[in-house]
Amino acid sequence: MKNDIVLDVKHLTKKFSDFIAVDDLSLSIRQGEVLGLLGPNGAGKTTTIQMLLGVMEQTSGSIEYFGKEFPKYRQETLSMINFSSTYISMPWEFTLEEILMLYARLYEVPDKKKRIDKLLKEFEIYDMRKKQFKMLSAGEKTRLFLAKAFLNYPKLILLDEPTASLDPDIAVKIREFLKRERSEYNTSMLFTSHNMAEVEEMCERVIIMKSGKIIDEDTPENLAKKIKGAHVELLIIKDHTKLLDFLDKQKYLYEVDNRTIRVAIDEQNISGFLHSLFTEKIKCDEININKPTLEDYFLQVVNSEKGDTQ
Amino acid sequence: MNLNRVWAMVLRYVCNMRHSLDRLSDMFYWPAIDLFVWGLTGLYLAQLINKSHQYLFVILSGLVFWLIIWRAQYEITISLLSEFWDRNIVNLFTTPLTLSELMVSFMIFGFLKTIGSLAFSATLAYLLYGFNVFYFGWNLVWFFMNLMLTGWAVGFLVGSVLVRYGQKFQAIGWAGVALISPFSAIYYPVSVLPHWAQKISAVIPSTYIFEAIREMLFTHKVSYDKIWISFILNFIYLTIAIIFFRYMFDKSRKLGLGRLV
Repeated sequence: MKNDIVLDVKHLTKKFSDFIAVDDLSLSIRQGEVLGLLGPNGAGKTTTIQMLLGVMEQTSGSIEYFGKEFPKYRQETLSMINFSSTYISMPWEFTLEEILMLYARLYEVPDKKKRIDKLLKEFEIYDMRKKQFKMLSAGEKTRLFLAKAFLNYPKLILLDEPTASLDPDIAVKIREFLKRERSEYNTSMLFTSHNMAEVEEMCERVIIMKSGKIIDEDTPENLAKKIKGAHVELLIIKDHTKLLDFLDKQKYLYEVDNRTIRVAIDEQNISGFLHSLFTEKIKCDEININKPTLEDYFLQVVNSEKGDTQ
Repeated sequence: MNLNRVWAMVLRYVCNMRHSLDRLSDMFYWPAIDLFVWGLTGLYLAQLINKSHQYLFVILSGLVFWLIIWRAQYEITISLLSEFWDRNIVNLFTTPLTLSELMVSFMIFGFLKTIGSLAFSATLAYLLYGFNVFYFGWNLVWFFMNLMLTGWAVGFLVGSVLVRYGQKFQAIGWAGVALISPFSAIYYPVSVLPHWAQKISAVIPSTYIFEAIREMLFTHKVSYDKIWISFILNFIYLTIAIIFFRYMFDKSRKLGLGRLV
């Protein structure tokens, strides 16, 4: 469904002399889709976002928004997208209201005051609207950046670490807001975050970048499944000798941490393992199953030399 | 060119000035200091020589009219630098704002601030020394226009360096225009310059305006040919400066505007 694609990037490359920051990157985002862009520091995420926003020119490759070439249709495109990043700043002396009014004017937002008030309330910074930017905490700045990012009712929004520096309760509210925006307005999002739980919660699809290249792409669940090993944690308060004998006999790999035994096991063998404990009459006071997460996968990718997860 | 966005940026710089006492005070502080110090020096020299006010008026007209060039240049470079200092340049260019719109907003804001600063200086010169800029009549418009164009041309040339290399060259944002001041013959005629300097001064548009101003003060005649030469030179330099600014901006965008902050 070509007309469903809001962003289509083909063979995007950025070179700085001999250094290749982004190497032949291709990706697309469908209408209403939330795509996660993950990678360790230096993977090329920020460079990619800068090229997507037109504040850095690519060495080669093409970018199309809503089927139109970028930056050829720069103004038309930029009026329909927006971005938020914790790595930017705003006019230092300006109040929140003045900052949002400046951007509302630049985006030619209709009924500016009403829209600004709505967003200030939405992000719970209405009471500090007369406060200068330099007086804000990191979390308050992040909320202001997000308010700016939604000023122009964007069809696609690039969110670079959108909930960094936020208190957990505010981060939850922001995620709820993002989900609501997506369901109400079918807003597409490109999402980078170091909070893997957040990426798992928000993104339908995740792209993993390393050294400027895409090394994997799938749903968060499928990426996590690429790590075969899971862990079963067994807490035995009195005597765990019987359990250790059983594990040694069955040649399971395990770690003992005081009264907790952590057994490494493939996800598909967990039920069989638990059944064996029952038939061997090994009683546990507590059982926890730790399935691999996106974070486990990410760490494995980051720590592997070539990004090979197999 | 979207005028709403241009106006949004003009208001941004007006708002910046409102919040920043030093940007507001520089409209009045330095012109006032210059008028006091150099005006009184000129007054003393005039009394020493022949009690004629003509030489005092040469110095005063130099002070008042040089302000136009300096202010026009300064507002372009400082407005640009303020976007670097606020780490706001990336934000701006992720909106539909174009480089042309930003440049026009620099020019409009500079124009408005120059009018304010010039009105203040002219009033002060009249009150302190009886020097009336309206003596020049409608020619004031031609002088003002040409000097603004020179200031903008220098502003965009200096801005080209800033937009390409960032804050490490920010000192030229304040002092860039000073480079042409010795050759502009602000307080003295071109004829007193060394021969090599006269050649340079012949290609600087502001020279012709200051020569025309002096000529009017001494002979009460208007030298339209000088005004025209200045206008033609200004047109050429401003065109080159704008093209060069755009070229350097594009070079900078290749490397990423994010590195400027």
